[in-house]
Amino acid sequence: MSLTQATKDGPQQPASERYSPLDDPRVLGWGSIALVLLVWEFTARIFGVSALYLPRPSQIVVALVALFGSGGLAIDLGVTLWRIFAGFAIALACGTILGLWIATSFRARAVADMFIAALYPLPKITLIPLLIIWLGTGGPFMLTISFLGAIFPIVINTVLGVSQCDPGLVLAARDLGAKPQQIMRRVLLPSAIPSIFAGMRLGLGVSIILVVAAEMVVGKTGLGARLYLAGQILETEQVFAVLIVLAILGIIVTKLQDAVDAALGNWRVD
Amino acid sequence: MPAVAIEFDDVGLTFAPASAAPTIALEAVTCRFEPGKVTALIGPSGCGKSTLLQIARGFLEPTRGRLRFRLAESGAETTRPAMSTVWQAFNLFPWLTVIDNVAFGLDLAGVPHTERNARAGNAIAAVDLSGFEYRYPRQLSGGMRQRVGLARALVMEPEVLLLDEPFGALDAQTRLVLQEQLAQLVETGGTTAILVTHSIEEAILLADTILVMTARPGRVAAQIEVDLPRPRSVATTKDPQFSALFDRIYGLLREEVMRAMISGEETNA
Repeated sequence: MSLTQATKDGPQQPASERYSPLDDPRVLGWGSIALVLLVWEFTARIFGVSALYLPRPSQIVVALVALFGSGGLAIDLGVTLWRIFAGFAIALACGTILGLWIATSFRARAVADMFIAALYPLPKITLIPLLIIWLGTGGPFMLTISFLGAIFPIVINTVLGVSQCDPGLVLAARDLGAKPQQIMRRVLLPSAIPSIFAGMRLGLGVSIILVVAAEMVVGKTGLGARLYLAGQILETEQVFAVLIVLAILGIIVTKLQDAVDAALGNWRVD
Repeated sequence: MPAVAIEFDDVGLTFAPASAAPTIALEAVTCRFEPGKVTALIGPSGCGKSTLLQIARGFLEPTRGRLRFRLAESGAETTRPAMSTVWQAFNLFPWLTVIDNVAFGLDLAGVPHTERNARAGNAIAAVDLSGFEYRYPRQLSGGMRQRVGLARALVMEPEVLLLDEPFGALDAQTRLVLQEQLAQLVETGGTTAILVTHSIEEAILLADTILVMTARPGRVAAQIEVDLPRPRSVATTKDPQFSALFDRIYGLLREEVMRAMISGEETNA
């Protein structure tokens, strides 16, 4: 579907130049994926590779449909998405407020600097054993792990964005009668929004990784658990099916973020 | 509203950071800004013109002397009158449309929506930007942006308008047109305004009184009354009286600019 669509509304080029679909990044992107799948399908067929090692794309699609139909993959997807986005949403709210506070308070900044320096580079995945001891393996654990993945990039980027706010804008707001609270909400926060989105981008990526990894370690439900169980019983088609769901999730998240980024053009001066 | 004069009585400001040598931004300025008049401050770069404006606005506290606000009629001291600033760098909020930029101060004050829109609309019309209400600053030329800046200040109906090199960032032609428009706006309104500028022409065109400042540390070197007839326009610059004033101010400034250059205090401010 995307192939034909992409060809139709390709790049606007002068009529004099010869139009080639290969100049369209969408044609190239989707086309190369289609090509890889085709080559994979036929080489696997020709050489008779066992589905145990490398199932063909067609077999994976069959497994995918079956899993969504009766195997409860939709529920696993929902559970995983809930874990990722609930923790992420909490991280976004806390991270923005925390970042605003750190950026505007000398003392908060001095304290936070040390904690961030100590905790930010720590691979969050190493916290899984400790969090299991503290929280068990249920919902609170999953929310915490997703929260931990997102909070640091969001805080750091909020601080960065707020500190880079043009002081002229703060002066202008004060001149128009803004009180400190109003300056925070109406000047510092909006001016930091592109930076906050950059933090969200990084943070969401880490949250996805951590939740799926945590599910593989402890989960009974969710995409990570499904992936791990399918691997244990050598259901290679199912492994690939889950991987494809994760890949599509990644594409959707990335493209949505690109769209948000483009919409943020107004925030950037000149 | 009652007319208020602003008096600087021996006002100075010294920045004294703990780790560096103190900088005298403003030496000791005594001057008076009359209500209903436009006073221009002109002087070499870094002489403290903008500092003086910030002190008048209340954003900087003087380290010596006193700032007084007096009712023009009785001479009694009063509180700081309402002021709005037009900035050299425009300082528009890039994420807000023209109308939201103009209405920013009204929104902060909680002005009801219909009144807010009406007042912002009027201010936008006053600077000839009707039809551009929903554009973003980045979609406008420099001259248009500064007209938004002017509308944003005027919509607050300030008793005193502070103009901090308002046309400094614009090209020569745009500058000329905007100066003329501002001259007309000022003439009809009887506005009290303090104009900081580098341009002698601009000062003469707009001001009733011109204060020439010395190189850093800044003091007021001369006070010159401009009694050219209004309305003034680009044509005014052909007036022999204009040339005489220009030469006189240039003579005063030249010396100060040379001094500033020699002492190495020339900054880009």
